[in-house]
Amino acid sequence: MSDVELDFGAFVAARATSLLRMAYLACGDETEAEDLLQTALERTYRNWDRVHRDSPEPYVRRVIINAAISRARRRAILSIIPMHSPPERSARATDVDLRHVLMEALRALPPRQRAVIVLRYWEDLSETQTAEVLGCSIGTVKSQASKAMAKLRSGLGRESVEGMIGNAHA
Amino acid sequence: MPTLEETIRQVMADETARLHAAPDLAERVMRSSRATRNRARVLTLATSVAVITAAPVGYLTLNSVATTGQAPSISATPEPPAIDDTPPVASAPPELGDLGDGREFGHVKVGYLPERLKWSNWSVDFGDSYSTAYNFDGDKNGFYCVQIYMYEEAAVQDIDSQIQRYRDEGEGEEVILGDRTGYLVVQDVGEDGGKGTPTLFLTMGAEQRAAIMFSPTYAKEFSGAEAVNTELKKIAEGLTPAN
Repeated sequence: MSDVELDFGAFVAARATSLLRMAYLACGDETEAEDLLQTALERTYRNWDRVHRDSPEPYVRRVIINAAISRARRRAILSIIPMHSPPERSARATDVDLRHVLMEALRALPPRQRAVIVLRYWEDLSETQTAEVLGCSIGTVKSQASKAMAKLRSGLGRESVEGMIGNAHA
Repeated sequence: MPTLEETIRQVMADETARLHAAPDLAERVMRSSRATRNRARVLTLATSVAVITAAPVGYLTLNSVATTGQAPSISATPEPPAIDDTPPVASAPPELGDLGDGREFGHVKVGYLPERLKWSNWSVDFGDSYSTAYNFDGDKNGFYCVQIYMYEEAAVQDIDSQIQRYRDEGEGEEVILGDRTGYLVVQDVGEDGGKGTPTLFLTMGAEQRAAIMFSPTYAKEFSGAEAVNTELKKIAEGLTPAN
């Protein structure tokens, strides 16, 4: 096995699970997350000579996030235009657990806002790093994060969330 | 009490705890890349040094690249076929195939595109409706700038109903493009990054409609809605039936 293969194999062994989880949070689908990760890693491997000098992880992360956003946008168009009807929304259950409610709210966010939340609160990236991944300004990250958090609060109903949090920790 | 941010972190950790990358992922990625590279080499050879051997391509083991000037060696042992080097496609919609520069797809030709746009290498084909897109770098996984969605035969009814709904709701405006008509509207299809998706629906005939869309992000590159609409109209005017 060549040095490149050893290096790449070590990187994948160390980081693939974390990247897979990020991909899942960004796209909301397990199969698509696996596809996103494999596609991103293939591109990374092809460019390993250039990518590995710094940390390859930001590069992979950027490919995954941008591909997830792009696919989500296309899916939005594909699902709305041909069917010309708004997506059905299931009735709000009162006894669903916090995880389910929050994940549904996260999935309901526009793709770029969802990406900001995932990068900021899952990857723990700074606003500057998030802006670099998304190729936008820090101001855009701030405004997208603010809007996303407002939607999460609004969609969930802060009181009920706090109630659930309280119950969960009781 | 934890903050919402802390709760989100915990929920995301709980939700993803079950997910683990496949142990053979690195090997699959590398095998896939090798297979892609070998296919490219075989194609290069097929077009440049096809006279070297009459042996079946599958029985070539390529120890050198054609561009080095060295002849490839021939082995009696074929390389094992890469059986899992392509991502699963079961759930992916069918594509229109290689469209070259993307200026002709399905039953239409694209006569005008804004500057710098290239075919994105992405398309879908549902038979009586199909679509492709254009962006800056031709990256299939990149952002789209302009997408053209075609509706034909039975699919025309769907899109006509949608346009009628916009009319009924007072959204958008009728436009005339030479001897054809269209409908301009900013759709809310769930995209973020802007105020919606500027769209021009074009009637190309009794059984053919087109929806020409600008991504909200791309639309921001223009000076305003009027400039975007001007570009949409130019694309519509250049969109004609293929021979």
